[in-house]
Amino acid sequence: MAERYIARSKAIAARMVGGEMMVMSAVDSTFFTLNEVASTIWQAADGRTPLAEIVAGKVCQEFDVDPERAQRGANRFVDELSQHGILLVSDQPLIDSSPSPERP
Amino acid sequence: MSLMAEMNQKALNLGLPISVHLDITYRCNERCVHCYLDHDDHGEMTTAEIIDVLEQLADAGVFFLSISGGEVLMRRDFFEIVERARQLLFNVKVKTNGVMIREKEAARLRQLGVEQVQISVYSHRPEVHDAITKLPGSLKRTIRAIQFLKAQGLKVVLANVLMAGNFSDQQGVIDLAKELGVTYTLDPTITPKMDGDRSVLALRIPGSDLKQVFHNQELVGNVEEFCAPPPPPGEDVMDGFPCSAGHTACYISPYGDVFPCVQFPLPSGNVRRQKFIDIWRHSPQLEEVRSIHARDLPTCSTCSHVGTCTRCPGLAYMEGSMRGPSTADCEKSFQRTGIPSANMLNRAAGGYAGPLIQIQALANSSLDSAFPI
Amino acid sequence: MTTAFPTIAREAVSIEIGGMAIALRTQDPSFHRLIENRYTGFVGTSPDSHLKFDIDLREPSESSVDDDLEVKMEHGEWLLKRGDFRASWNPETSRGRIRQSCNPYAIDCVLRIVHSLVLARQGGFLVHAASAIRGGKAFLFSGVSGAGKTTISRLAPPDATLLTDEISYLRREGNRYIACGTPFAGELARVGENCSAPLSAFFLLEKGLQNRIEPVGPSEAIQRLLRNILFFAHDPELVKLVFQSACEFASLVPIRRLVFVPDHRVWDIIR
Repeated sequence: MAERYIARSKAIAARMVGGEMMVMSAVDSTFFTLNEVASTIWQAADGRTPLAEIVAGKVCQEFDVDPERAQRGANRFVDELSQHGILLVSDQPLIDSSPSPERP
Repeated sequence: MSLMAEMNQKALNLGLPISVHLDITYRCNERCVHCYLDHDDHGEMTTAEIIDVLEQLADAGVFFLSISGGEVLMRRDFFEIVERARQLLFNVKVKTNGVMIREKEAARLRQLGVEQVQISVYSHRPEVHDAITKLPGSLKRTIRAIQFLKAQGLKVVLANVLMAGNFSDQQGVIDLAKELGVTYTLDPTITPKMDGDRSVLALRIPGSDLKQVFHNQELVGNVEEFCAPPPPPGEDVMDGFPCSAGHTACYISPYGDVFPCVQFPLPSGNVRRQKFIDIWRHSPQLEEVRSIHARDLPTCSTCSHVGTCTRCPGLAYMEGSMRGPSTADCEKSFQRTGIPSANMLNRAAGGYAGPLIQIQALANSSLDSAFPI
Repeated sequence: MTTAFPTIAREAVSIEIGGMAIALRTQDPSFHRLIENRYTGFVGTSPDSHLKFDIDLREPSESSVDDDLEVKMEHGEWLLKRGDFRASWNPETSRGRIRQSCNPYAIDCVLRIVHSLVLARQGGFLVHAASAIRGGKAFLFSGVSGAGKTTISRLAPPDATLLTDEISYLRREGNRYIACGTPFAGELARVGENCSAPLSAFFLLEKGLQNRIEPVGPSEAIQRLLRNILFFAHDPELVKLVFQSACEFASLVPIRRLVFVPDHRVWDIIR
């Protein structure tokens, strides 16, 4: 299966609040919060580390979860966030992954 | 509770300053008659100082950053500041009079992902608006700025400060906002000058005009509900705080002074001398503000409006005591519901509406007479 | 509340009808979008809705063969039941839950029921009627299926704003009633306009050979009104309240028979 590379969009406002991330789209002001596991994936989304590695390395280490379920959960989560335009997903590493904020 | 309200509650529980209002200059190209500021530059923070503050704020957990002044565009480094703020992923709102905003500036604000721009409009008639701003041609340029900002798809809020000279033009401003396709907000608060000068309060609209505003269905929605007498306050009301100032929000001046709020100028520290997080966590002034619950307010805790009043502790502080009443808010509660506040009743009865414990001059001067208030 | 799965929380979709907002919270992003799209025009922006429901998208465990709607009060909570959903609502806390399969019709139903329960307490109601606003005044056209509600809606002139061709929303305000638009579509399958106006007249529809407005005796008026009021709850106290509301309505609003020929000329006499 192809690697998935994920990177945080720059067209957002975001801040950690007690282990959870608050994220607001700079395009349409939709507001989300990410739980601890989601926040861990989010913070590791540097465009260079494959998702599978983030899950195996960070998620499974820090949280008590079955690796296969964790990968599935992470993939679903990544799909959802990318639909909202706040996470960029590609099968190649994303270098300089910042779109200008006016493009969704 | 909405998701946003949940996060606010979480921030409150964790003592996080999620909102900061940062004024980057007090200089201004207008001289509004009601303004509370001294517009001379007494040594504003440099670009480097401001950027360092922004980084400290991001580390401290601040999410909402409101950038204002004075007029923000008077600073040559304004866009540099906004750009850095957006790199640090703040939700940025800007307040401006718009006089210096044209297509280029509007496009840049959009490109940087500023969430909202708030612009003050005092009247739909140039002669009235310009007489307030003391800048001829300002209304024309302000309206043009709103149009440029809207054309870029930015969210624009039109703020209408109501005062003696423009009250009758309120409907005109509401219609103007509709025509421009922007959100209308009104503010009947005139704040005393930061240096203590209260003469500007003469511009406040009289009670009868306030009453009219509160009974305007277009502005308040269900008038019966909005103007209903206050319900009897429960225990949770007495545990409550008046607002987020000092709890999840604070203010930073162009000179680095930290206050609980722009309208609560209690000097609580200066970021040029201390780290922001140290001020936020350990300032004795902020700790004192945080300690004040509704039950600790001598007059207001006895008032029927205690659970519903818009009491601003900053206005109360400027009137004499951060635990005292804010007469502007007494007036609002009264005009809204028809029921006088405890403070109003005390004064009407000629009673001493001050602290419960009086300082007594003792005949025996070997004792310290002062009781803490 | 730890879970080992990454989850995203979003603001609920707030649906505002008749000035009352109901927030619907769902974890499923596509269902969230589905609701937002279905109730376009009525999706509010105010973050603090009076009433909140959490939606659980799973088949109700006891899927009854019986499709009939049941609404009853038990231990201070309203319980709503139909073949495709189960819901509960606590009027004290204003919180509720809906357990349903992934279809929007359950939401329609829950919204109608909750609104009718709230309206019942304040003297208003939902009624089988088309409604339109003309000249700043609202007119209701009531009747059972086939009486002509959709017909008269289709014939409305451009200067009339159609609120609905099927389910009208009446809120009581002092001694008058305000007709409000709703997103509940009938045969016209068109979401109504989200606006409101004071009710000027309540017409009982009857197809005939000429267009005329006739007076209606008070007891017939109340009878016909009661037959068309939408009320679902098996609760004697509330039913009595609704009956009283209907009587008060009849004393405050002109109820007339509108005999009409199914063409556009009927609208000439509706002013």
